[in-house]
Amino acid sequence: MPDPVPKVSVIVPFYNEQDSIGPLYEAIVSALAPVGIPFEMVFVDDGSRDETLARANVIARSDPRVKLVKFRRNSGQTAAMAAGIEFASGEILVTMDGDLQNDPADIPMFLETMDSGYDIVVGWRHQRQDKLVSRKIPSRIANWLIGKVTRVPIKDNGCSLKAYRASVIKHIPLYSEMHRFIPAMASMAAPRIAEVKVRHHARRFGKSKYGLSRVYKVLLDLLVIKTLASFAARPLLWFGLLAVPLLLGGTGLIASALLGAALRGGSISLPIAGCGVIFLAAAFMMVCSGALGELVYNLGDMRDHEFARLTQRLRMRTAYVETKTQ
Amino acid sequence: MSDRNTNRISVIIPVGRRHGDVRELHDEYRAGLDALRTPYELIFVVDGPHADVIAGLESLIDAGRNDIIMVVLNRSFGESTAIMAGFARASGEIILTLPAYQQINPEDIGKLVQALEQKDVAVGWRWPRSGGPLEKLRRSMFHGLVARVTGMRLHDLGCGARAMKRVVLQELSLYGDQHRLLAVLADRLGFSVIEVEMRQSARDRFEGVYRPREYAHFALDVFTVFFLVRFTKKPLRFFGMLGATMFGIGAVLVSWLIIDRAVFGTSLSDRPALLLSALVVVLGLQLFALGLLAELIIFTHARHIKDYQGAEIIQYPQAQIDLPRPVRESRAEKTARL
Repeated sequence: MPDPVPKVSVIVPFYNEQDSIGPLYEAIVSALAPVGIPFEMVFVDDGSRDETLARANVIARSDPRVKLVKFRRNSGQTAAMAAGIEFASGEILVTMDGDLQNDPADIPMFLETMDSGYDIVVGWRHQRQDKLVSRKIPSRIANWLIGKVTRVPIKDNGCSLKAYRASVIKHIPLYSEMHRFIPAMASMAAPRIAEVKVRHHARRFGKSKYGLSRVYKVLLDLLVIKTLASFAARPLLWFGLLAVPLLLGGTGLIASALLGAALRGGSISLPIAGCGVIFLAAAFMMVCSGALGELVYNLGDMRDHEFARLTQRLRMRTAYVETKTQ
Repeated sequence: MSDRNTNRISVIIPVGRRHGDVRELHDEYRAGLDALRTPYELIFVVDGPHADVIAGLESLIDAGRNDIIMVVLNRSFGESTAIMAGFARASGEIILTLPAYQQINPEDIGKLVQALEQKDVAVGWRWPRSGGPLEKLRRSMFHGLVARVTGMRLHDLGCGARAMKRVVLQELSLYGDQHRLLAVLADRLGFSVIEVEMRQSARDRFEGVYRPREYAHFALDVFTVFFLVRFTKKPLRFFGMLGATMFGIGAVLVSWLIIDRAVFGTSLSDRPALLLSALVVVLGLQLFALGLLAELIIFTHARHIKDYQGAEIIQYPQAQIDLPRPVRESRAEKTARL
């Protein structure tokens, strides 16, 4: 059988999942083989310290559709996803967890949804098999907040089972701990996002690698993504807006100090006028920070028009044919 | 042992302001290296115009030593830059850096190189070590701090003898004062690091007292490690933490003043504490803004950022499935250091 170019890449990061990798591989193959689309699997070993790598190697040896990416050390889930996305060669990239909580049998449904004209399809674990207090409630609050802030209303950001159009996701920068925010980050390119219900299984092997301690980090990350998505190309505006309340406060304080001196006579109140001066100075510094931001953006290599191009629709008449791309 | 293409070990010796007699040093190191029975080359990087060193090396090269490379930098760029300048000329698979003055017993160089059979980086640790009680205290405090920040228990960051596989320096482009932190930075990139005990040279005696300037250096080193290890790609976590704390303190102060005004009628116009609280609030805001600016820098360079180290791709093509050896496509990823 000749090795066709894969249309679909299934990307799975593994970190100490020695018992899951075998069954997961079987499940992916039996889910995708009947569909009849050439596919590949990208297994990312995130520096596991158990038998995961050895078992992945055995699988890779028996199946040329398996591409194994091996890290020198544990680098985190975002890095694993980013590497998987980078080295995958399909047109549609499906990501999922390596712990068997996602069901590969859902993948064909994702592919169908993609075909109906979406750039990103995200899973929604509507019957989630996790602990209520430590996992489900925080996650519901987080999802609500993420939806409000980023204006990408996804019910379940934490579900790893997602499908992306490669041409879009490969150009979205992923770093730090952004794997929870990939759709939000991708919203810079304004992709068409669909949400589908997926099955969710309780953990069979290994143990969960998450805790509750992430709230502070998630909040800051959210703030970063929000500011980047809406203001990265206009840092001067962004800092300028921050400077406005300082400017108003400073002017108000100075005015009241002057007014107080004029009305009641006597000298100007030093603390109040001083506060006003500090606020004005801070406003000035903010605007200067914005100017610095413009410089940084100008010398960097992120441009809004590149994001726009990822999802643009094009319709034009040439002399011979009408071209339509999505 | 002089064919430049078959060198297994490249020895880089950055010669800065503090250096011993270069010919003497050369003879000692050569004795230690010859014992390894492995072809090597010696790369002396003269960091700045040290006429005595240049003259000494010239005479060695004139005498027919063709495994010596002398790189002369036109001004003093610092040890990290000197090491990288030497590395640009190095052809060996193993890179060894040695100090430009007698720190260690050259007979122990072999131990350092042997450690690379198991590990990627081996750094020297002068032991047993001379020095008074004050000096020992300073040393253990410094390394204790580094251990707290990085979780790596190191003993001698000041030792200039280090051995590493070529790939380590390829991925780790040193600058500034990072040579001292090489073990920490390499560990961060996922290389295995070991400390090797080396006997201290009898002539490595630091007489005199460290000046405040040196202490400032140590403190900066620790801060650099702290920032690099924890926050390189998430600067807002650092600046945001500081900024939020400041802002919080300021907010508490302001609300106390307001309550004082509303309840007890203390006029705000003659309270200098108002100035202080305004300053603290504004400082908090500024720090937060700095953090956002830093995030913008990271974002605009995100295309070059790789969060993972040394990804290796293993795929067995159809035709070679039966063969025992996989086809490996190794990519030395450029790792971001900001």
